[in-house]
Amino acid sequence: MKLRTLKPMQGEAVNVTPLIDVVMCLIIFFLLVGHIAKKASVKGIQIPSALAGKSLGNRSNELIINLVPRHSDIAGVQRRPRISIWGDNYTYDNLGSVLREYKGRHPNLKLVIRADMRTEYRFIAPVLVACAKAKIVSVHFMTRRKG
Amino acid sequence: MAMKRKRIGMHAAHHVGPNMTPMVDVVMVILIFFMLGSSFTSPVWYLTNNTPAIRGGMSDVKTSKFPPVKLIIKLDRRGTKTMVTIGAFQTENLNGDLMHWLNKRRKILGKKTQVIIKPHESVPYQDVITVYSDCVRARYHRVAFGMPTR
Repeated sequence: MKLRTLKPMQGEAVNVTPLIDVVMCLIIFFLLVGHIAKKASVKGIQIPSALAGKSLGNRSNELIINLVPRHSDIAGVQRRPRISIWGDNYTYDNLGSVLREYKGRHPNLKLVIRADMRTEYRFIAPVLVACAKAKIVSVHFMTRRKG
Repeated sequence: MAMKRKRIGMHAAHHVGPNMTPMVDVVMVILIFFMLGSSFTSPVWYLTNNTPAIRGGMSDVKTSKFPPVKLIIKLDRRGTKTMVTIGAFQTENLNGDLMHWLNKRRKILGKKTQVIIKPHESVPYQDVITVYSDCVRARYHRVAFGMPTR
């Protein structure tokens, strides 16, 4: 009786082309997301911690205002933070018009305030006033999860 | 003989093309780096506020009528600490005493009470956020911010 045996292996390599396609797509995705995240948030801000909070569900129409602390030569006296939105710098004077412009383009604008934990309230209040004047009612404070 | 020659020729054609193994290795390392890097970022969450405007206070935006009960939380700076004052109640313990007091008061006044946080201009943002977080944890739904006091 003749026994059936497996064919000897031909030494064929695995087709890696689809794998490389997928992996390259993932790398491009991570590079783009990293670039966008870097542009949206600025380094040098130590955000405050909070025991309460929630994660933002839908991140569309989101605008992050970064209040970047500036070094002061006089001890104990804070300088006005630098306002940065999408990598562009703004002043407290033109913040209102910028917010109104964003609100005009995106009616359901969600505003996220990203400020340093040591920033004095006198520098935060004008941002809230600008939001109120631009009729932005959805304001979020970015915090670190405590505990 | 002819059959044997043909088989040898076909076998040689299998290994034509660049060696992809080092490339796949490097690409996988980059991918794992990005995936791990994205997961190491510190978790953030958000305190949401839908009442940034105070009538007669921060802006000229007309808001809906406030409920009759108002709770004004004043924050003052005493040295390096922040003192919270609500009427006769005072504390420096922002996460403990204040939270407890707010919880007790909410049971009496109800969660529709309008809370207004009025910090001194020199109060650090961290303390303002801590007090606001306490209000959220005590389940007050209407919390607004006042102009900085001097």
